[in-house]
Amino acid sequence: MFVSIIQDIGITSLVSGGLALILVIAQRYLNDYGDCKIDINGKRLITLKGGSSLLNALSENQIFIPSACGGKGSCGTCKCQVLEGGGPLLPTEKPLLTTKEMTGNVRLACQIKVKSDVRIHIPESIFNIRRFQGVVSKIEDYTYDIKGVIITLTEPETIDFKAGQYVQLETPIYAKVRQKVGRAYSISSDPGNDRQIQLIIRYVPEGICTTWVHQYLNEGDQISFTGPYGDFFIRDTSADMIFVAGGSGKAPIKSILEYLSRVGTTRRMRYLFGARTCKDLYLTGEMHAFEQVFDDFEYIPVLSKPCPEENWQGRIGYVMPVFPELITDPANTEAYLCGSPAMIESVKKALIELGVPKDRIYYDSFG
Amino acid sequence: MKQTPQELLVTQRMQPGVITLSGFLGIDQRPLNEIIADDAQTLLRLDITAPEIAERMQYLTDQSQQAYEGGIIIDGSYEVETEITRGKLPCPFLHRGLQRKTVTTCTHLTTGITIRWTALNIHMIKEHGFFEGKGSPFRLEPGTLIKVLFPDAAHRS
Repeated sequence: MFVSIIQDIGITSLVSGGLALILVIAQRYLNDYGDCKIDINGKRLITLKGGSSLLNALSENQIFIPSACGGKGSCGTCKCQVLEGGGPLLPTEKPLLTTKEMTGNVRLACQIKVKSDVRIHIPESIFNIRRFQGVVSKIEDYTYDIKGVIITLTEPETIDFKAGQYVQLETPIYAKVRQKVGRAYSISSDPGNDRQIQLIIRYVPEGICTTWVHQYLNEGDQISFTGPYGDFFIRDTSADMIFVAGGSGKAPIKSILEYLSRVGTTRRMRYLFGARTCKDLYLTGEMHAFEQVFDDFEYIPVLSKPCPEENWQGRIGYVMPVFPELITDPANTEAYLCGSPAMIESVKKALIELGVPKDRIYYDSFG
Repeated sequence: MKQTPQELLVTQRMQPGVITLSGFLGIDQRPLNEIIADDAQTLLRLDITAPEIAERMQYLTDQSQQAYEGGIIIDGSYEVETEITRGKLPCPFLHRGLQRKTVTTCTHLTTGITIRWTALNIHMIKEHGFFEGKGSPFRLEPGTLIKVLFPDAAHRS
């Protein structure tokens, strides 16, 4: 009986070992795709050993297509146009692509395996995106659910970004989280300080990245991110500007104001910050301080539901009714908005009704 | 009940830390198809379909988003508020499209019962009849949902 059991275990082990060996050999020889080429925008050619995902292949060559799930095919962020190669559309891609995207050869870079030469097209701005390592220099509590995080860069040591752009913070494996994920946060600091960035991060219940930042991240911790991304930045004109933000939407506006205070501007600017109660206000002193820096700037916090005990002396209600008073030349006004889609929609509608040109309303509606 | 490879893949995507911090199954040990089948039985008993529930949730969510900020009273019966945060989430069932990260809080003014749901909840109920597993942070008990969204139907039961 005992001998029989040992024999069975031995045979099973031999068969398993044999199968594993066959798999290793198959991986080594059958999956050898040789050298493959990736032609990017007809301008850059990468040669690599075939077999890895397009996302990884590009990332190994310092080209970072935005990805929020670390290449697991669950976020649908890493879209790019694949003009040749790439194979047929996979079932894992279809749920995350629109019909228009599918007909336009848009694919998920994380799902495509580079097995032959591939020709792709990506936005030019992606060439400026890098992966950065840094150390958390400072974490500040701004409100009960918003923190400011300053990261000092270590590798590379500097970053080139435009005020208003964002980065993708990479969340490590922690607690119940078994895979790395990336999440987008606007940079809130001045691009003039290229050795540090500041992020303003609001806690989201059940959020993988915000829970990590709010409950696990400490000063001195290593951190990595990719960026910069996005086209939410000020246009170089002489038009009046109105900024409207809520919650952590203050981040890119703060970056823009810090940038403008360094380079100087005489443009007329008004900044409306919408919040519910005094508990939701933060960096109020810092924003009012810009009134002393710029020739024509005013910061106006507006509370929708101030608590009686807060004895709020400022404006009450929503931000839209304040527009006619602040926007004196609608046709010559640019609007920069950052907040929830509902906020953006309401504000856009009110601005257009007032006469602000639609194509001069720029916004970041929380992706 | 044996699970298909597709159900196993979906179950894997519902684990904590894959799409959301705590996942979608909570402490529920039942296979995915059993969780869905058990809730379907409750709906059958109450003579309400999952798409009907989802449609009502969507209506209240859409109405609440008309408000620039804060809650609004809808149809004189509900106080509803929807908070939207940055980003979107995929459906664990590998369904096409991404859902915005929203949390809608709905209070039925007569009964005082408050429930909350996400955009992904609405999608999963409508398309997959999935109300999440027991103990999941966004589990929606069909009975409670119906009590709030269809008080007359709940009364019939």
